[in-house]
Amino acid sequence: MFKLKVADAKLLRDMATAISILVDEATFKIDPEGLKLRAMDPSRVAMIDFEWPKTIFEEYVCAEPTRMCINISELLKLLKRASKDEAVELALDEKTARLEIKITGKYTRNFTMPTLEASEEEVPTPKITFNVKAKTTTQGLSQAIEDAQLVSDHVRVEADAEKLVLNAAGDLMGAMITLQKGSDALLDLEVKENSKATFSLSYLSEIIKAASATSDIATLEFSSDMPIRIDFQQTKEGKLTFFLAPRIETE
Amino acid sequence: MKVFKRSVIYYEQRTLIWQLRTDWGMPLKIRVFADLHIHGRYSRATSQQMSLREIARYAKIKGLNLVGTGDFTHPKWLEEIRESVMAEQDSGVYKVAGSPELPVHFMLTTEVCTIFDAANEAKKVHHVILTPSFDVAVQINEALGKYGDLTADGRPMLNMTAAHLVEEVMQTSKDNIVFPAHAWTPWFSVFGAFSGFDSIEECYGDMTKHIHALETGLSSDPPMNWRLSKLDRFALVSNSDSHSFWPWRIGREANVFELEEVSYSAVVDAICSKDPARFLFTVETDPAYGKYHWTGHRNCNVSLSPQEAQKLGNVCPVCRRKLTKGVEQRVEELADRPASFKPSNAPGFTRLLPLSEIIATVLDSGSPSTQAVWKIYNALIGRFGDEYTVLISASKEAVSEIVDVQIAEAIVKVRTGSVSVVPGYDGVYGKLVLEALASGGKLRRGSVQQKNLADFW
Repeated sequence: MFKLKVADAKLLRDMATAISILVDEATFKIDPEGLKLRAMDPSRVAMIDFEWPKTIFEEYVCAEPTRMCINISELLKLLKRASKDEAVELALDEKTARLEIKITGKYTRNFTMPTLEASEEEVPTPKITFNVKAKTTTQGLSQAIEDAQLVSDHVRVEADAEKLVLNAAGDLMGAMITLQKGSDALLDLEVKENSKATFSLSYLSEIIKAASATSDIATLEFSSDMPIRIDFQQTKEGKLTFFLAPRIETE
Repeated sequence: MKVFKRSVIYYEQRTLIWQLRTDWGMPLKIRVFADLHIHGRYSRATSQQMSLREIARYAKIKGLNLVGTGDFTHPKWLEEIRESVMAEQDSGVYKVAGSPELPVHFMLTTEVCTIFDAANEAKKVHHVILTPSFDVAVQINEALGKYGDLTADGRPMLNMTAAHLVEEVMQTSKDNIVFPAHAWTPWFSVFGAFSGFDSIEECYGDMTKHIHALETGLSSDPPMNWRLSKLDRFALVSNSDSHSFWPWRIGREANVFELEEVSYSAVVDAICSKDPARFLFTVETDPAYGKYHWTGHRNCNVSLSPQEAQKLGNVCPVCRRKLTKGVEQRVEELADRPASFKPSNAPGFTRLLPLSEIIATVLDSGSPSTQAVWKIYNALIGRFGDEYTVLISASKEAVSEIVDVQIAEAIVKVRTGSVSVVPGYDGVYGKLVLEALASGGKLRRGSVQQKNLADFW
């Protein structure tokens, strides 16, 4: 048996939005301690690594570990019907293999949706030694990415001891966005070795836009030409981390 | 006319026809360079200057002596063809009226698009039709006019199945032939990744018995098609599908026959029989030159080999939409033989690239249509008679007598396959590079290459 309840629908909706930018069908690992999801987008360029402990919920019941796969876009459509302060309950009917969604506010709505065949794939995280760790505000990071998107579809992220630089070069225009250590946008910067790596702005912007609804602070970790790890510090408990593979510039 | 011993090739420069003759009175053989799939002025995106006289003029320069009229299904174009040509004694081929000196014959041809549902999917397949006479062409048009508006486009859209098309065409005359056009391009082809089939039989059903050939298209060549044992019985033909008469378009791919006469029946019989004594070889561009060789997205500047595309789940790493699957990847999916397989007794092929493209690459002019390119091109045609002669047989020394030695070297490099082509993708033509890779692999466009996370596990 699996059942959970959140007092504020926004919590579930924001998380479903963050997951939906990478995967259509999400397989959650559910156990008595909480639920987890680690999945990659179909191109394997980006990964989401998400955990919610049971303490985050108003109510959480899980008798034994299980996996549940749902179409996250369909779930999101239903969750969008809930207002900010309305409560949401999810319950898995194992006999019918359907997920029941109950939204309680001024009135009560009950939806059901089918679950899908759960993936058994265990997705590993990339093995990387990071040389740069930068703590930014999600708002500052989001604006810097929007600036870079004006000129290109990819951005080179560079760091030295003093600053984090986003360098974008398009066919006609270029952009350089500098976040100085100690500024309002760059809260902390640790650099073992100067590093730079290039990333798709399409992925970065969608990840940051979706995750910023759940977090005010993002920690970026990267090394030269290696995947970047972006951890979004959750306002409550839980973990929301993304990995994004680099793009390599060739002649 | 001079008489030569067996196997000595005589090239008649003015008429642009290769002829073989023996001491023992064997029949005269005519070498026919044929481009059987082009478009007339009533097709979309086609030059308004496309008249038969202009086509014949540039075909002569190219070295073609047989060209498809294209678009006989369009009533106005058919009328224009009828007024522009004269028949050659029931041969089923025609010459430009009033210009007997032009050594170019025409054959009535067209391309149509059938749109139909199969296995709950919308299928869009292009087919080339060859027909021996105006009377039969008119009958075909009467039959096909019931399934679509023939006046709307030189290449009409017909609401009928591929099998039904073949049935209608063959009912008008058993001498007609139908074959799938550019068989591998992602859209509008029999094996197309987006709206095609996995076999000729699935597409044409019980009418497959009337299909004897398939057009390989620019992005595939015979070795790629030889990898599918199920294609062994089909002749592989190559045509330009040109929408203009410029020599970097028309005849960029062609079929080379050696026939006793230039006639419809001689050409069709050579194709259907796959007789290597009559259907000698095809002229192929490097398949990488074709617009759909690799997988990618034009607007995202993403170009990927089959292996890279599969690694990315066929999803564009820039816009994250489904990639346009290239021909090489599609062949890889359907192939049941290794890349090196060569069937016995198949007509051969030679790999060429348009002379204007070669000159433009040496000059780094960015376009084959500049005055500088034309000046050199015209000098070579003036000396050697036609482009195929320059590309296939002119010696480096003879070419360098009249143009820069770098151009002579580039022509020989293309002839001997000592060049590379940066593969075309999603509607972008491949790009010639005058250096071969030591590895024998393919060059890639200067760009940003997306890695995936599995590369870091």
